[in-house]
Amino acid sequence: MAWKFDNPLHTLCTDDQNEAAKAVWEGESLGGITEDNNRLPPPIIGILVLTIVTAFLITFPLWGQRPTAAIYEEYIALMDSPAIQGKSDAEAMEYIVNQVKASGSKWAPLQERHPLEMDDLRLIKDAIIELQRNGSDLREFTVLGDRLVLANFEGNLKADGTKERIQPWWDKGYTIDIFFIVIFCLGVMIVVKRLPDYGWEPSHHGH
Amino acid sequence: MAFREYKIGSRMFGLAFGTSMFITLYMPAVDIQNVSATSIAMDRQLSFGRVGGFSYEDPFLQGWAKPITVQINQDPKTGATIESTRAFVYEKGVPFPNGIRHPRILGKVPAAASESKGRINEASEDQGAVFIVREEVDGGVMVPYIENATATRGWLPSATLAKASESQRLHVGKGKIMFVREGCWWCHTLLPEQTQDWQYFGAPPMLGDFNGESPTAFGSDRKAPDLTHVGSRNSSREWMMMHFFNPRLVQSHSIMPRYDYLWGEKDANGNTIDYDGWRAAYTAYADGKSIYPPEVPVPAADSEARALIDFVLNLK
Amino acid sequence: MFKYLFAKAEDIPAGSAAIYFGYSSIIWFVIGTGLGSFNAAKLAFPDFVTGSEILSFGHMRQVHVLAVILGWISMAFAMAMMYITPALGNTKLWSEKLGVWNCFIWNIGLSLGLFLLWLGVSSGREYSDMPFFIDVVVILGILTPLCVNVFMTIKTRRTQGIYTTNWFFGAATFMVIIVFSVGNSPEFFQLTGLTEAYLTWWFAHNVLGLWITPVAAAISYYVVPKVTGNPLYSHRIGHLHFWSVVVFYSTPAAHHLMSAPLPEWLKSFASVEGVLILVPAIAFVSNLLLTMTGKWRMFVENIEIKFTITGVLMAIPLNMQGGFQQTRAINWYIHGTGWIVAHAHLALLGFSTFLEAAAVYYGLQTLLRRKLYSLGLANFHFWMLLVGFTTYWVSMTIAGLIQGAGKIYEVPYIDVVIAEHPYMIARWVGGTMVFLGNCVWLYNMYMTARVGTAIPAGRLPHELAYER
Repeated sequence: MAWKFDNPLHTLCTDDQNEAAKAVWEGESLGGITEDNNRLPPPIIGILVLTIVTAFLITFPLWGQRPTAAIYEEYIALMDSPAIQGKSDAEAMEYIVNQVKASGSKWAPLQERHPLEMDDLRLIKDAIIELQRNGSDLREFTVLGDRLVLANFEGNLKADGTKERIQPWWDKGYTIDIFFIVIFCLGVMIVVKRLPDYGWEPSHHGH
Repeated sequence: MAFREYKIGSRMFGLAFGTSMFITLYMPAVDIQNVSATSIAMDRQLSFGRVGGFSYEDPFLQGWAKPITVQINQDPKTGATIESTRAFVYEKGVPFPNGIRHPRILGKVPAAASESKGRINEASEDQGAVFIVREEVDGGVMVPYIENATATRGWLPSATLAKASESQRLHVGKGKIMFVREGCWWCHTLLPEQTQDWQYFGAPPMLGDFNGESPTAFGSDRKAPDLTHVGSRNSSREWMMMHFFNPRLVQSHSIMPRYDYLWGEKDANGNTIDYDGWRAAYTAYADGKSIYPPEVPVPAADSEARALIDFVLNLK
Repeated sequence: MFKYLFAKAEDIPAGSAAIYFGYSSIIWFVIGTGLGSFNAAKLAFPDFVTGSEILSFGHMRQVHVLAVILGWISMAFAMAMMYITPALGNTKLWSEKLGVWNCFIWNIGLSLGLFLLWLGVSSGREYSDMPFFIDVVVILGILTPLCVNVFMTIKTRRTQGIYTTNWFFGAATFMVIIVFSVGNSPEFFQLTGLTEAYLTWWFAHNVLGLWITPVAAAISYYVVPKVTGNPLYSHRIGHLHFWSVVVFYSTPAAHHLMSAPLPEWLKSFASVEGVLILVPAIAFVSNLLLTMTGKWRMFVENIEIKFTITGVLMAIPLNMQGGFQQTRAINWYIHGTGWIVAHAHLALLGFSTFLEAAAVYYGLQTLLRRKLYSLGLANFHFWMLLVGFTTYWVSMTIAGLIQGAGKIYEVPYIDVVIAEHPYMIARWVGGTMVFLGNCVWLYNMYMTARVGTAIPAGRLPHELAYER
């Protein structure tokens, strides 16, 4: 009785049940997931909203997750300064760090998070100077030991048609996420509101 | 009246599932497909061979039909001295890696260079071939490509193997099979992490470092050091040999299993290995009853232990 | 079982397939946790059973994982589907014979696959380790018949509308076929490199997200209302759960490879979606806990509710971990450490196992029409599982934090191994408790079938739980 092979999408609902469902559909607020059936308690709705907001906040570009070459630019510039000649590596490094901090570097938090030793600095010095000479954007390069590696981020288009390798606020992944969540909310509202009457009793209208 | 819960529900389901499959399968696939192989990727796949896990040619993971990596100082054709060259010898019937079979997975530019300069499309599995990884500057950019030395230089697989002494041959392809079969990757990862790991385990791999390799065996559950660059940290064959035979010989706190069974029945001198005797002697040593541990037998040239050691030492 | 393989369909008693699946799943659970305990012993005491290739850790680890996932968990799912789907449709299973065959092929195929895996015949890809011909058996011989049976039973139901549980059963059996087919495509089509690595984790994530989590939840959507007698708090919140599983749980595969060189946009996308896994989790937990209103005594008194609600409560830490540990901000610290191992066991041994155990307890009593042999042994089983699991989880979480610290502060790796050692022993103790508890369970269920008190027609097993 339940399944008609010639019309698989045939309903088991009666017309008046459908009309009643439509009336609920018209009359409900808040997308319908909170009414008619049992209400979702407000604290739980709060948690759901909080989850969606948190999802974006916690994964939003965390600048400085990995050290970029840009944050060491100022260090490199000071490496040849006469003030550190004759000092031991440790003293020289301390001097450089303090000097950069005192000058109010905009990278200060990141420099603190990714400290270096003089030997590390020597390893990347030539590569950074090379990049500066080429006019590259140092923020696109991640420092990995002795190597400067182009990041996999996809940012704005540059004049030469290539993409900036810096994570933009509109990161492709996040943009898809926003689209996805909007579609999800719309979809769930439509589906949930248009659920037919549900009951454990079999109803054999006309069959 | 249509069955609304089915009609809307099933269409919504198709839409939801389809969209998520589009975003998580199609879009990344397009991006990953556009990545050009680096010379590291070429070296890896040429030394590992077609598949590092189950395959038709090697269904029981015994290391059958795998290439041999050699380091040669003489030109196999002319006999002239050349600078030390790393070549990958595919004897007759050994399946070529995926970059040779389907060059497009190397990326547009390297594939074109491999075909025009490297003549890889002339290689045939029926005859076997010798490959080399080359890099040349092209238009201001360093372009890596695979050279089919059998076509370009007339290096035959058998002649190339003959120019390499036993110590210049690395059974890396067979070793990768051992690595997968013995489950080394359940504890040792092959993926230094992009964030902090490089300080200890070396540089993490880059986007194009894996084209053509299968399986990548990154591992996920690290209970032991990452091995991606282990050959650079420790190049001692002796140490590896002892460590595989019984890790507690060189690292008393290690929780690694013993891989002595990879030695097989005979050692390098053709003597039968007395495992029971060895273990008894080792137990005496571990209990403090003897001062020196028993000698570790040198693995035979065709043993599985030797291939695994070759593979690990080759991870640079 | 064998006598029904070629019997006439009408000669097979209703519920046979579910009963076979139920007992198979318990046996696989004993095997799987036994292997787990053995493996843990090897990690704690490396020279425990040494010198044999076939008994080495590297050959046994994957057998443990797949025996538990495809043997215990998935067979318990099949068991639940084969009695819950018809029960909710007020009908019989569409084909009892197909169900019996399904169980038969499942056991044979899985034994063969695990045997090969044990020998080392592996594709080298975590969670999809089986060689491709076994994957074909899994897809065509195991999952497709199950899907057909569930779908046809839903179609031939005699109730109006489809209850939430059956939405999940229908969708999950369909999605898991897709997941298995796509996830194993690197073997079918020889895909390589990052594509292969990504698809490996796409599979590993989705088999959890689109099969294990939703089906386990669906089971509890049946068990809690059925046993407590309360109607489900909200059918609509159930749907919020269902749709958010399909949409959000199917997308964050890339968060398993946050430290690999994948395109960064994919990681950003995956990590937002990963946090949104909390949406189905919140819907699920709140719906079920609200259903319990007024019946919380049963959490203490009733064995099925005790298992189910413990599993539901474990979904809270599970999803809090799962949601946040994969973000870039946290992942760099705990990636690849014991923390993840603890999390995986929280999902499979904590959350999911407790829900399925309840379904198997309840289903076998209902189908056999026999009261549980010993409630005391069932309670013993519960506490062995809970205490054993908790010991495991706490010790591995601590071990993971130690490993994470070691990674960040560049501690020589061997010092991490030394520091972890006590926790490795604790892990073995916990795992062994779970194993012993399961042996007791198998005995209890065997005795239930043999000598359990018959349940009179019209009564439900849990109503009789305290009657002698």
